[in-house]
Amino acid sequence: MKTLKQGTTIPLSNGSTAVVKSLLGEGGQGAVYLAQVDGKDYALKIYAKRPSKKFMLNLLDNIRKGAPTKHFLWPKWMVNSPVYSGYVMDVRPKEYIEFSRFLIAKARFASWSALINGAMEITYAFRELHRAGLSYQDLNDGNFFFNPKTGSVLICDNDNVCPPDTNLGIRGKFRYMAPEVILCKNNPNNLSDYFSLSVILFMLLMNNHPLDGRRVASVPCLNDAIERHVYGEHPIFIYDLKDDSNRPVSGVHTNVRQRWQLFPQFVRDTFFKQFSAEVMANPNKRMADNEWLKVLQQLRNQTLRCDCGYETFAEVGSGTFCYTCGKQLGKPLTLSIGKQHIALYPGMCLYANQTSAKDDAFTVTGEVVRNAKDPYVWGIINRSQDTWTCTLPDGRTVNIESNMGFPIYRGMDVQFSQTRNGKIDRVIIKPDRVIM
Amino acid sequence: MKGNNSMSRLPKNPLEAVEIARRQMTLFFIVDTSGSMQGEKIAAVNTAIREVLPELAGISSENADAQIKVACLQFATEVKWLFSPTEVEGMQWNDLPAGGLTNLGSAISELNDKLSRNKFMNSPTGNFAPVLFLLSDGMPSDSYQSALATIQENKWFNVAIKAAVAIGDDANKQVLAEFTGNSELLLTAHTPEDLKALIRFVSVTSSKIGSQSSGVGVGNAAAQNGTEVKQAEFAEQVQEFKADNQDLDALTDGF
Repeated sequence: MKTLKQGTTIPLSNGSTAVVKSLLGEGGQGAVYLAQVDGKDYALKIYAKRPSKKFMLNLLDNIRKGAPTKHFLWPKWMVNSPVYSGYVMDVRPKEYIEFSRFLIAKARFASWSALINGAMEITYAFRELHRAGLSYQDLNDGNFFFNPKTGSVLICDNDNVCPPDTNLGIRGKFRYMAPEVILCKNNPNNLSDYFSLSVILFMLLMNNHPLDGRRVASVPCLNDAIERHVYGEHPIFIYDLKDDSNRPVSGVHTNVRQRWQLFPQFVRDTFFKQFSAEVMANPNKRMADNEWLKVLQQLRNQTLRCDCGYETFAEVGSGTFCYTCGKQLGKPLTLSIGKQHIALYPGMCLYANQTSAKDDAFTVTGEVVRNAKDPYVWGIINRSQDTWTCTLPDGRTVNIESNMGFPIYRGMDVQFSQTRNGKIDRVIIKPDRVIM
Repeated sequence: MKGNNSMSRLPKNPLEAVEIARRQMTLFFIVDTSGSMQGEKIAAVNTAIREVLPELAGISSENADAQIKVACLQFATEVKWLFSPTEVEGMQWNDLPAGGLTNLGSAISELNDKLSRNKFMNSPTGNFAPVLFLLSDGMPSDSYQSALATIQENKWFNVAIKAAVAIGDDANKQVLAEFTGNSELLLTAHTPEDLKALIRFVSVTSSKIGSQSSGVGVGNAAAQNGTEVKQAEFAEQVQEFKADNQDLDALTDGF
C-alpha cells in the first residue's frame, strides 16, 4: 500500500469523510495518518493489506461495545471503502510520550508518584478490559503513552482486542509475551495478558526487562531460536531465588541494580513470585490485575515526599530516610484499613476505595496535612462528601464533616463509612500482610 | 534497608535512569564503488543514504529493544570500511568516491572477518541479527565463489536479514542473488529515483524488523521449518513492495 497523499478522502461508517492531512507513523500492519473528520482532528489507521473478515467483524464489535475506560484510544468508526480498510480513533495529545522513550531515558517521570499512578492506571485499564470479557493480546512497549508529569496513560493499538483465546493472527514481541504464547501452546488470553502486565510493570518500576540479565546479555546474537528459548522455553527471572545464573550485570543493567533495593520488600516479593519458574510456567497461578492494583496502591501508600522535594519509600513500621538528601523521616504512624496500610506523612492521600465501598482508587477523599500553627502536629482532612467518625483512645467520639480535619493519635479508630473502618497505629508491614 | 551505605551509587534523584540495556542491531551497507559507479549512480547512493540516516535515527531513538548502528564497507580495487559500526543517532555520512575494479570476493572476505564476536559484533549487551545490504552495478572482477562459500558458514551471515540492489541492468544479478540466498530479495534500480526509493525502503524496513524483539506472527510458519522469523517478515515486505511498485520493473534503464 503506497502512502496516502494529503487531501485523500476516505468514507467512514458514520457517513462522514476523513480527509488525510499527514502521515503519523508506519508499521508492519499499516500506516496511521492525521485526518480531519467534520472539522476535528483524528487518527486514521489504514491497513496495508485487507485484514480477514473475522478481524474486521471483531473490530466492528469493539466499536459497538465502546472503550472499557477513558485510557484506551479506542476505534470510533470503520473505514467504509472498497479500496481501503481501517478505522478512526482519537489523536494522542502531544504531552503523552511513548513508553519506549522512558525506557531509553529520553523521557522521565516527574516523581515516583507519577510513575506509580501510571502503573495503577494501566493496571486498572486492563482490569476493566478483562472484566468486559476482552483481552488485549499483544501488550508491548509500543502500546503505551504516559504523561510524564502525572503518569496518566493512553493505550493504543486496540484493534487486536478480542475475547480471550480468539486467534486473529496477532503479532507481538517475544520479550513481552507469555511463555505459552511464544511456544504456541495456546492463543493469547487474560492469563497471558497478566504475564505481559507483570513485565510492563517491572519495566516501569525498574527500567529493565525482568528476564534480561547476565544470561541474555552474554548471548552474542539474539536470533529467533534464542529469543524463543530465553523468553519462552526456559525463562529465568534476574532475581530468581533458586537460580542466580541470570543476575543483572554491573555496568549493563544499571537501573535495576540501583532501583531494586529502593522498593519496599512486598514489591520485591510480588515480583519474586510472579516471575518464579513455577508461576511463569503455570498461567493459572498468575496474579490477576486486581491484585496488582492492590499491591501498587500499597506502594503508593508508602511513597513519602521529603521536605527536600524528592520522594522516598517508607518501609512502614521501620525507620525511613530520604534517598535523595538522606534525612531521617522517623517512623510514621500508619492508618490500617483492611489490608491497606497508609504511612501517615504530610502530603499522603486517602482514596475513595479506602474510605468507602466505591471501587475507585483514584479519587482523593482525604489528605494528611501539617497543622498551620504547629507544623509538628499532623492531621487528616476529610476531602470526601461523607461524615467520618473518630473514636479517641479514651472512647470519646467526634464527627468529622467534609473539609474538616482531625489530629492523628496512635490508637485512634476512624469510621469512614459503613464498610470502611481504619485504625491508627504503628504497624510493621510484613509481606504476608499485603494482598499478593 | 538500613543505613545509606548501599545507596552510595544512587544518583541524586533515583528516577534519573540511564538508558535500558539495549541490544545492538547493525545495518551493513556493502557498496560497489568501482569505476562504473562514477557519476549519478554513486551520487544517488550517497544522497539516499545521507537522507535515510535521520529516519533510521528516529527509529533507533524510540526503540527500547535495540540501538541501531550503521556500518559501510566500500569495495573497488581496494576494500575499505568507510564506517565501522557507528551509532546512527548523530551519525555524519561521508560521501563514497568511485573508481577502480569490482572486487566483490575481497569484500565478502572482509565482511566475513568482521562478522565475529571478537570484531564488530562485540556489544556488551548482545546483538540482534545484522542486516547485510549489498549494492552493485557490475560483474565481480575477482573470484568471489570461495569467499561466498566461506561466509555461508558464518552464523552471523546465516541469521542476517539480507538484501541486494542491482543498479541498472548491467549488474550481475545472479551473483547478487547468491549473496542474498534468495532471488526474491534482489531489487533492481533503473533510475536514480528508483535507487533512492529502494535504498530507503530496504534500510528502513530491514532496520524496523531487525531491531525489534521477534514476534509470533507472519513469520511463525516460517520459523517452524527453520527459517528465521525476521528474514521471513522482511521477505514478505519485499514482495509487497514489489507488488506495489510493479511500474519500476517496466522502466527502461535510465543509467
